[in-house]
Amino acid sequence: MLDAPLALIAEITHRCPLHCVYCSNPLQMVSLASELTTREWESVFEQGAKLGALHVHLSGGEPLAREDLTQLIRSAHGCGLYTNLITSGIGLSERRWDELVAAGLDHIQLSFQDSREARANWIAGTRAHALKLEIATMVRRSTVAFTVNIVVHRQNVDHLEEMMALAESLQPERLEIAHVQYYGWAWKNVDELLPTREQVLESLETIAAAQKRLTGKIRIDAVVPDYYARFPKACMGGWGRRQLLIDPSGKALPCHAAAVIPGLQFENVRDRPLEWIWRESESFQKFRGESWMPEPCRSCDRRTEDFGGCRCQAFMITGDATSTDPVCSLAPAHGLVEQKLSQVNSMAENAAADKTSQVLKTQQEQFWVYRPQPK
Amino acid sequence: MSDLEDSSTPRLAAGCRWAGEGENRTLVFPEGALRLKETGRAILERCDGHRTFEQIVQELEVAYNAADSGKIRQDAFTFLERLRQKRLVDF
Repeated sequence: MLDAPLALIAEITHRCPLHCVYCSNPLQMVSLASELTTREWESVFEQGAKLGALHVHLSGGEPLAREDLTQLIRSAHGCGLYTNLITSGIGLSERRWDELVAAGLDHIQLSFQDSREARANWIAGTRAHALKLEIATMVRRSTVAFTVNIVVHRQNVDHLEEMMALAESLQPERLEIAHVQYYGWAWKNVDELLPTREQVLESLETIAAAQKRLTGKIRIDAVVPDYYARFPKACMGGWGRRQLLIDPSGKALPCHAAAVIPGLQFENVRDRPLEWIWRESESFQKFRGESWMPEPCRSCDRRTEDFGGCRCQAFMITGDATSTDPVCSLAPAHGLVEQKLSQVNSMAENAAADKTSQVLKTQQEQFWVYRPQPK
Repeated sequence: MSDLEDSSTPRLAAGCRWAGEGENRTLVFPEGALRLKETGRAILERCDGHRTFEQIVQELEVAYNAADSGKIRQDAFTFLERLRQKRLVDF
C-alpha cells in the first residue's frame, strides 16, 4: 500500500530579495499574480495533514515575501503540522518574528552564503549578510528550534572551517552543511560552483571532525555532492514516495526540479484534491516503484535504497529521464559526469596556477548568472 | 555538556514534539520523524523536564514489573544518550 507523504514542501512564493547563484528554483518562475491565495494554501495544509503528512516546509523564493505568512503558519500549526520556515531572514522584524512564534512556528532554518561579508553578498547578488547576522541573533533570543544552513561550493568551501565557526557562534541546535545540488540556477552555474575532488574530500574531513567535537551540542547534518559519490542519492526518498511539493501557483510536483522533465503533466491543487494527486495522478506514478527502471537499476540490490537516483538529473545530463542517474558509477552514461568532473578539476588547477586571471574573472559581471526576480 | 545522572531531568530538545495519537504517536523534529517502539515511547514520554532520571527508571520498573532493575537503567541510559547525540533530548 502507498504510504502518506511525510512532508509537504510549500513553495509559497518565488519572489526573493536575494539572487543566489545556486538557487534551486526553476528557471521558469511563478509570478505574484499566479500565486495561490491564503485560503487556497490553508486548504492545501488541511488536505496534507488529512493525508498523513507530518511536516510542512515553508519555502520559496523567500517565504517572508508573503504578507500572510503568519496566518499560513497559524493554519498549518492548527492542522497539527510541524512548521518549518526555510528563509534568508530578510524581511523579519522583531515584531514579525514574535508573531510567527506566537502563530506556532516549530523551527526556523536560516541560510548563510559565506562567513566573509563581501563574498556572501557576491554570492547572494545583494547586500544581505550583515542583516542576516542581526536576524540570527534575534532568532536565537527565542526558544524556537534553530538551524543554520550553509551552502557550500567551489567558491567558498576552502574556508569551510571559518564558516562553521561563524555558524557555531550563532548557537543553533542544528547546522546543515549543504553542498550545492545542481538544479535550476545552480545547474546554469555548475562550471563555477562544482567543487574539485580535493575540496570535497577536505570538506568531508572538516565536517566529520566538527561532528565529533560538537556532539550533543550542535547536530551537524551534511548534504554531500553526489557527483563525486559512487552511488546516487535517494532523491526525495524516492519519486512520489515521501514528499510532495506545491509550487507558488498550486502545481503539485514530486520534487523541486520535476518540471524540467518534458512530457509530464503536473496537476494543480486548484483543480484536483491533494489525495488524488498523490495517489492517482500520472505524474506522481510515473517513476514510483520499480516498474519504470532500466538496467542496471532493475536488477541492482541498491534499487530499494536509492530508487535509481534522481530523475531530473538523469534528464538534465543524458536527455532521458528514464535512464539511471548518471552520477552512479554503474550507469551507462556515467562518462558524462566524469567528463564534467575532469573539466572542472583541470579548470580549477589552471586557475590556481594563474591567480591573476582568476581575480580578473571574478571581477567580471559575466562570471555567473544571478537568479532574477520572477516577472 | 553534562552526563546523564540520577538527578538529571531529561526533556525533549527544542524543536522536538509529539504528533498524532495512540499507535500513531510520532516524535517530530526538524527534517525528520521517529515512530518509537513501545519501550522507547515509555521512556521518552516521561522525559518532561520535571521527572528525574532516577524517577523515570523507578516508574519503568513498576510499569514493566522488572526483575532486573539494573538492565532497565542501562537500557534507558543508552537510549537517552543516543537521542541526545541526535539532539532530540536535552538533560
